[in-house]
Amino acid sequence: MLELLRISKIFGGVQALVDVDFNVKKGEIAGLIGANGAGKTTLFSVITGFHAPTAGSVHFKGENVTGWKPYEICRKGLVRTFQVVRPFPRMTVLRNVAIGKLYGKVRLRDEKRAEREAYEILEFVGLVHKAHVAAAGLTMADRKRLELARSLATEPELLLLDEVLAGLTPAETVEAMNLVREINQRLGITIFMVEHVMKAVVGLCDRIMALHYGCKIAEGTPREIAGNPAVIEAYLGEELEI
Amino acid sequence: MDLTRILQVLFSGLIIGGIYALIAVGLNMIYGTMRLLNIAHGEVIMLGAYVTFWLYTLYGISPLVSVVAVMGLSAALGALICRWIFFPVISTSKSVAVLESNSLLIFYGLSIIFTNISSLLWTTDARGYSYLTEVVHVLGVPLMKNRLWALGLSFFVCVFFYVLLQKTMLGKAIRALIQDKDASLLVGVNPDAIYYFSFSMSFALAGLAGCLLSMFYEMTPFMGMPYTITAFIVIVLGGLGNVLGSLLGGILLGLVETVGVSLTSPGWRPILSYALFILIIVLRPRGIFGKGVY
Amino acid sequence: MVSRRGLVTGPFGIALLVLALLPRWTSDYHVSVVLDVLMWVAVTESWIILSGYTGYISLGHSAFFGLGAYIMAMTWPQLPFLLGIVLAGVLSSVFALTIGLVVFRVRGPYFVILTLGLTEFILHVVVNLEIKLGGTVGRILMSAPSLATLYYAMLATAAAAVVTAYVVKNSRFGAGLFSLKEDEKAASALGVNTTLQKWAAYGISAFFPGVVGAIMALRHSYIDPYNAFDPMVSFQVIVMAFLGGMEEVEGAVVGAVLLTLVSEALWASYPYYYMIILGVIMIVTVKFMPLGLVAPFKGRLLARAADGSGAGA
Repeated sequence: MLELLRISKIFGGVQALVDVDFNVKKGEIAGLIGANGAGKTTLFSVITGFHAPTAGSVHFKGENVTGWKPYEICRKGLVRTFQVVRPFPRMTVLRNVAIGKLYGKVRLRDEKRAEREAYEILEFVGLVHKAHVAAAGLTMADRKRLELARSLATEPELLLLDEVLAGLTPAETVEAMNLVREINQRLGITIFMVEHVMKAVVGLCDRIMALHYGCKIAEGTPREIAGNPAVIEAYLGEELEI
Repeated sequence: MDLTRILQVLFSGLIIGGIYALIAVGLNMIYGTMRLLNIAHGEVIMLGAYVTFWLYTLYGISPLVSVVAVMGLSAALGALICRWIFFPVISTSKSVAVLESNSLLIFYGLSIIFTNISSLLWTTDARGYSYLTEVVHVLGVPLMKNRLWALGLSFFVCVFFYVLLQKTMLGKAIRALIQDKDASLLVGVNPDAIYYFSFSMSFALAGLAGCLLSMFYEMTPFMGMPYTITAFIVIVLGGLGNVLGSLLGGILLGLVETVGVSLTSPGWRPILSYALFILIIVLRPRGIFGKGVY
Repeated sequence: MVSRRGLVTGPFGIALLVLALLPRWTSDYHVSVVLDVLMWVAVTESWIILSGYTGYISLGHSAFFGLGAYIMAMTWPQLPFLLGIVLAGVLSSVFALTIGLVVFRVRGPYFVILTLGLTEFILHVVVNLEIKLGGTVGRILMSAPSLATLYYAMLATAAAAVVTAYVVKNSRFGAGLFSLKEDEKAASALGVNTTLQKWAAYGISAFFPGVVGAIMALRHSYIDPYNAFDPMVSFQVIVMAFLGGMEEVEGAVVGAVLLTLVSEALWASYPYYYMIILGVIMIVTVKFMPLGLVAPFKGRLLARAADGSGAGA
């Protein structure tokens, strides 16, 4: 569904990504791990059109989407969440999600219908009770839910989650993991997620890619990755602290 | 076109370019450190010009002496405005976008207030004075002494500023704050002190520019806005937030304008600078020097 | 329970009716004062559609006003009145859309800087052109239509501007505008074509000042570049919008009416004081009432009207 061919990205002398190759198959949950600064968010930005790659190409559903604008890629069915959540602060939760309905893949014209469908999504993620609260007043966990809900509103086929579990308590993390699983299995949405929380990555992902200083150092199932010496040395460090 | 004529045009370009550099560096400091667009910048220039004028006309004080007072007063004005108007707004603004638009409007309001206060106090009639108009020949080109002084002073201050930014701790702190606010906070940079300094310095440079300009141009309460616009064009040329870039950009614009006007007519000046602005936005939005020159 | 629509169309309809009948009831003096207020309402409303809804502050709105005036000056009296003013509006929009192609590809600060210089730039172009073509600066327009005709044209324009602002705000297009105002990056990640939206808003917002400028050119029977492209027009529009509430449709009306009252009192004798007061109003409003006058009232009114239906904000 998603093909990354030799993606490279240079930012003013710093090579953020070096020849990254990866595939995400339809229906799976793929993971992306790496230390801070390894290039994970940069890769997401390149995939979703926020940065053009210096070299290489991005293919989505068979089409070359390299260099497309973010809104075009969204309308094709590829949506991302942001590592630092970006709600529309003064709009209500419901309105936030409705924007996704109005402008995402479907681009509904009818605002009433958009709000109704947004409501359903809020039910799915568990934010209905806050539907009419301004987004600025939400807790961190709820903001993450909102970010998720908004992306779902655009009716994506592939959802890129950037550290959606960061900053959550253990209980919240379990809830979030279940939600991600639901999105994949019940809604049939393919997921590609960046995560630091190893428990989640191992528990959710079918396949994982590991990045280190912008290079892919390993790819495989969670078990293969956990046992990979390059990954252990680069990402987990010599102290072997899991 | 003979050599003298060419040199004359080049000198004119450098003279006005040096003043543009002063104006632009000040403006860019506030933009770089605080992301605020000071639309009232030109009005500070105007006030500087008027203060110099009155000090000379009423008390016979030479502009080259009153420049110190003018810079001091301007700096004080800047510090006051920073403390009483901007610090409160910064602390109550909920987001960067809100802060930017609110501060824009405040500066706009200040600009109108300054313009109209000076219209009220000093009427809208154009004022001017003559000072140091004796001609001196440099490389065969006849130049008035006042312009030579302006050239010398503005270059001196620009170099001083360059050294300040590059070599001193304060300068490094400023550059750090411009480059990465969070990181600089982590290493112990005191943002409030830098903000005060930026405002004061910015206003002082504007006051200086006004003082120099008053020596050879007439002044009206409305003279400020065109300089503000020019200053913005320069900082876009040199790269938004790139203080040293605006130094070079100012000189560049001065030269381009003077050469351009000599080929067309004085009425074309704003058209030329504006066209250059649009060109830069389209071709190199990061400015000629981007964010690289520090 | 009063419907939200009812709260809006009721007063609006009544106001229109009253204003339409005004020339029958009062003297020419009053008609011309109201005409001025309507002028400010129209231009301020159009400014709100752009700068209030997207957050991109345009400091050079008087550029379109001046353009409209000049287009009228060039087509009068060859073109009939109505055609002339509509053409002025359309060409003004076209001009905005053309510059918009350049400006909206880059970041916010550029827009501000560009609009600041725009009026000055056009002013100088026009002055240079006038001198080249005619030798003099300024034109006279003969046999302008009657005050009543101009009044009704302005009323229609102001009404159209208010309706447009309302329709845009409550449409999908408006939702997109507000979303990009809140967070442009997030909006584009959700499928909003932010460049197109801003560009379209800019074009729409240029139409009404163009029409208004054309009408006012006939009103004064004379234009010159310094009056047509007066930066004070831009400033007053912004103060009015901000005072009233720059995201509120009613904001333009409230701001325009209030400030016209102040200017009626001061402008003739103390123009500088008027401007200084405007500047102070601007700063005070930003510090203490950044949402303007209308928004807090509206919140309470709507809450009361919606009572019992369970629907919140």
